[in-house]
This record gives sequence, C-alpha cells and structure tokens, in this order.
Amino acid sequence: MDLKTLTEINAPSGHEQPIRRALLAELKEKGFNPTIDRMGNVIVVKEGTGDAPRKRVLVSAHMDEVGLIVTGHTDGGFLKVTQAGGIDPRVLISKRVLVGDDGIPGVIGAVAIHLQSAADRQRVMGYRDICVDIGATDKKEAERKAPKGTYISFDTPYVEYGEGYACGKAFDDRVGCWTILRLLQEELPVDLVAAFVSEEEVGCRGAKGAAFAQEPDIGIVLEGTTCNDLGDIPQTAQVCQTGKGVAVSFMDNASIANRSLFRKALEIGEKEGIACQVKSSVSGGNDGGVIQRAREGIPTLVLSVPCRYIHSPSTVIKLSDAESQFELTKALLKAL
Amino acid sequence: MDIRKILSEATSTLGVSGQEAGVAAYFAEQFRLLVDEVRVDAMYNVIAHKKGSGNGPKIMLCAHLDEIALMVMRIEDDGSVRFGSVGGVDPRILPGSRVWVHGTKGKLFGTIGALPPHLMSEEDRNNNYKMDKLHVDLGMCAGKVREQVRVGDLITFNTPFTELAGNQVAAKSLDDRACVAIMLRAAERLQRMACDAEVYFVCSAQEEVGGRGAMTAAFGVDPDLAVVLDVDFALTPGCGPDVAAPLDAMVVTHGPFVQPKLNKRLIDCAHAHHVKLSENVAGRSTGTDADEIGVNRGGVPTVLLSLPEKYMHTSVETISLDTLEEGARLLSHFVSELDAGWEDDLWI
Repeated sequence: MDLKTLTEINAPSGHEQPIRRALLAELKEKGFNPTIDRMGNVIVVKEGTGDAPRKRVLVSAHMDEVGLIVTGHTDGGFLKVTQAGGIDPRVLISKRVLVGDDGIPGVIGAVAIHLQSAADRQRVMGYRDICVDIGATDKKEAERKAPKGTYISFDTPYVEYGEGYACGKAFDDRVGCWTILRLLQEELPVDLVAAFVSEEEVGCRGAKGAAFAQEPDIGIVLEGTTCNDLGDIPQTAQVCQTGKGVAVSFMDNASIANRSLFRKALEIGEKEGIACQVKSSVSGGNDGGVIQRAREGIPTLVLSVPCRYIHSPSTVIKLSDAESQFELTKALLKAL
Repeated sequence: MDIRKILSEATSTLGVSGQEAGVAAYFAEQFRLLVDEVRVDAMYNVIAHKKGSGNGPKIMLCAHLDEIALMVMRIEDDGSVRFGSVGGVDPRILPGSRVWVHGTKGKLFGTIGALPPHLMSEEDRNNNYKMDKLHVDLGMCAGKVREQVRVGDLITFNTPFTELAGNQVAAKSLDDRACVAIMLRAAERLQRMACDAEVYFVCSAQEEVGGRGAMTAAFGVDPDLAVVLDVDFALTPGCGPDVAAPLDAMVVTHGPFVQPKLNKRLIDCAHAHHVKLSENVAGRSTGTDADEIGVNRGGVPTVLLSLPEKYMHTSVETISLDTLEEGARLLSHFVSELDAGWEDDLWI
C-alpha cells in the first residue's frame, strides 16, 4: 500500500475501522497474521533472524487522524460539529469535507466578507459558529444523512508537488504506518512488534494498551511532527526542517528519550549517511510517553517526519524525510 | 445543454478581474452555438447578439465573468511567496487552502501556510490570520520559484467543483459565472420562443473591482433597457433574513438604482409563470453592474435579478441548480414578452 492510499483513507480518532480494515487486508495479503487487541490496535509480531535471546522491539505508529464529529443539526439543515483531535478552527473556513463512511460531500462556509463588521473580521470563528453544509434543506434531512456522532474528514487528495514534496491530510501519522509496512518487508535480527495504534490524537489511548500487552524491551515511535521552516518564523522556533531528514527527539512534552537510544540513532545516521536532525524544541507529545511508562518502564525513542501545517487539510512533507525515517529505523533495528 | 458541465468548466477557467481572456474565450465559445454573433471587446467583455424581429427594443442582459483572486507580491529567500488580493478575498478562508500559482511555465500547485497556533501569543491565537502573515508554499527553493514565478502573477483557488445534496453545487467563482449560465440557458430557451427584442447577452469584465467592464459594454451595446444578473446572499447560520434570502428563489431588488415600473413588469412576469421570487431592498447602490449600466449614455432603465448564493467570496460558494433553472425560465419569458410598447407607461 502506498502513502497516497494510506492518507486518503478517512479514519478520525475513535473511528479507525476504515484504516484498520485496509491495514488488515494489506498485512494478510503480505502473508502476516495480524491481530486486533482490545483498544483496536492492529499488531503483527515478526520473529527476528538473530540468535535467541532476541530483543523484542515495539515499533508503533498511530493510524487515527484528526477530524470532526457531528454534534447536532440546525433548523436549516446545517451540521454542527466539534473536533475529534486538535484542529485549529481557523483552518476550516472555505474547505471541503467528506461526511460519514459514505463520503457525503460537504463544505464549510462563512458569512460573506461584505457583511462582516471590523470586529467580525478579527474574531475567530470557533466550533460554536462553524457549520458543515451538505445541501440538506431542513433538520430532518440533515439528521437522516448525518446523525449525531457521524465522523467527518478533510477532502484533500494526496498531491506530489515542487521539489519532492507531498501535500495531503493525515501524514500525521500514516507516514509512520507506511514506514512500518515497509519495515515488515525487511530481514531484521530483533523480534519486531509492529503496532498500528488507535486514538493517539485524543490522548495516546491505543498505544498505552499495546505497550502493556506486548511487553517490549524497547519502544520506537514513528511519528509526524510539527515543522515550521517557512515564512514568519524565527529560526529558534523552527523545531526541524523539511529536507534535513528524520527528526530525532531528545525530549518532548510527553517523554524524555532514552539517552543511549538517542545517541545511537544519531551515530548510526552519521555512520551510514542517513539524513537525520535533532528536533530542536520541547514541544508536542505523542505515544512515546505512554509506551515509556508502560509496566515498569520501557526505553523509548521517537523518530518523526517533519510536517508543515500539521493538523490542517493540507499538511506538507518532503518525501525524502519519510525515506530517512525508514532507513534510520531499519539501521537502528539492525544495530540493537 | 449540460449546466453542471458548463459550471464545472467555467469555474475552473482562469479569469481574474483585468485578466479575463481565458474565461472570455470559454463563454464566447458557448454563446456562439446559441446566438447570431459574438465578439469580445477591448475590456474582455463577451457580447453575444441575438437578432430580433425589428419590432422590439434592444435589451442588454449582463452577468460578470471575472473572479476574485490573489496576486504574487514578493518571493522570500526561503522560497515562500507573499501575496495580496485582487477584489475582496476574505483572509479567513486562506490558511490551509490549496491554490494554483499561474507562473511563466504553467500553473504550479501550492498550499497556503501560516504560523502554527502553538508558536503564537494568546492574543494572536484569538485573532484571525492577516493576509500579510500568510504565504504560499510551492515546495521549492527561492531560486527555482524565481525561475517561474514573477511579482504580479495570479494565484487562484484550487477547489474542485463539488455536488452537494438537494441539487446544490459548490465551487469558486460561481459569483457570477452561475449567472452567466442563467443567460446561456435563457439563450437556449429563447431559440424556441417568439422574441421581438434585440438581445445582447453581455458577460462583463472587472465587476469585482467596480463595474468597469459593464460601463464600456453598455456604451458599446447602447441598450434601451437592461437586466443585470448577479448573486445575492443566501440564508446560512450567522447570515439571517435581515440580510439574506432563501436559497430556493430568485431575488428582485427594490430601490432608487432599479427602474420601478420595469421591476414591476419583471415581478408580474414571475407571477404569470409561477416563478417564486424573494424581494430585497437596496437603499442606495446595488453593488452590481446595474449601478453603472443604469447611467450609461443618456440613461438605461435597469432591473436586477439575483441568484441566492451561500458563502459568497469563498472557494465554496454554493447555489441551487433548481433556482438557477427558474432564473433562466423567468429571464427568457421576460425577454420574449418585450414588444415595441414596453416603454409606454414606464415613467407615468
């Protein structure tokens, strides 16, 4: 399965069935025996080629994405929504969405500029104001087509553009899922526990169960992380840059990297000529936190692909950085 | 005539105010199949003439073909592109939007980026993004960008034509190409109807910067009377009945910029043919081409017929195709019923 297919599957947090089904089909086709645990995580254990006792390494990526969820309906037939996962409401205006599993087309509009007061122009339209319009003409029709709890995703196809860049939704974290699918094709000395986990965007809920149940010796989290390397951004706030390779975190808001894994990743990157960079700020948080603190503690490292405009309908990555994530993880797994 | 196809093609054709050649060529081609002669004037107005019997007035129907857009203002050393607007683009629609940058070697895919919320002060987070703080990301270094993009190049929204439920469609620049489609459908209907009037279908340029195309087109056509077709605000959350009309009926406008007797004739025509209408009031200018056409040469009795549109000046402007068809039905009857006596009691 390619990255385009992976990102175009609509599966916000709590509604991972579509991506779960796609991953199961793909894994079975490739001859694996995937299982589903009680958090809805998809797990494949692939035995290593090294001599026993082998290290058991959990490599995880989350399969959910940020999205919207229907909370109600107006008399005029518009859908009221809130966020499932963090979406700045300012990126929603004038965007196209797909509603529910049937992918009913919808748009998010706003009061025309002609009718806005100076204060309106300043004021952020929050979830209280935002409505999704599917063309329903009354409340009944809206309720029938998109009942409360229906999930909504961005309708933004994957596009490759510029000098090796790609633009789409859900790179966070289908890019990590893609890397794991590719790692499963490799001969590795360690026992690989490949985990496609659920509900990261609403508080790292899936990975917590997976780390407990799988009892790994080491955890490696493959992520997409925020990157702000264009426009009005002071260099100190850039975190990481596209095109400079996979970002290795020493610390984020959820975990402090195991120092020896952190050093080892950077050494291997340098030795093998794999592009990598240190994520230069303490920001964000991810499954690394819950995996590190599972059971009596697990040495953990996070390797991320830099994503511009993360959690927006049009996230941007450089494809060479996804390649670096794959190469560095592979090399690290071979060196553990 | 496949209206969906026409709207889909027309709304994806480049035609920004002042640079309408592309969309003008498109509409000229469409009208050529339906009328006696078509020309594109120096302002990129498309003027399509359907000959009459010789016993009717000369009527000008007018809907604008230009669209609002963005324009390249500066190329930064990191390759990001700064921009300004042509016409009234709402900056709130920009973050996360996909665009086409129309460079020297063709159009380039881009996406509009912004500073993320976690790097903003609390105050900035609670305000909308300003246009000068946003950038277009072309995924290229400055050197590559400068090879094919120049200051002044146009940037348009890359939003596919979208079909919603209830025969509604969403796209950019349905303001006012949906009304050009009304004229096309009316021209098609008039082929099968009696018609004394000389009819000039005008797709006007530069409306979004102030009725400039309509001004010269009206001079060139020199009509006896005119009907202007434009979009009006449709009811949506936050946009109530005090300023907006239901999506499912065309709108007539009352006020000093509209000739009252001619307007009554339009309303009577709608009643006679069971076309549902809403009414709007403009105490001064209408903000449409009607303002300019009404004072062309020695004066032109003019009325305004509007198609309700949700989310005007966004990339997801939404209209009802059923209302569009009703607009075309009304327009064709109104034109067909004009005769030599149309002016007899206009002013008394």
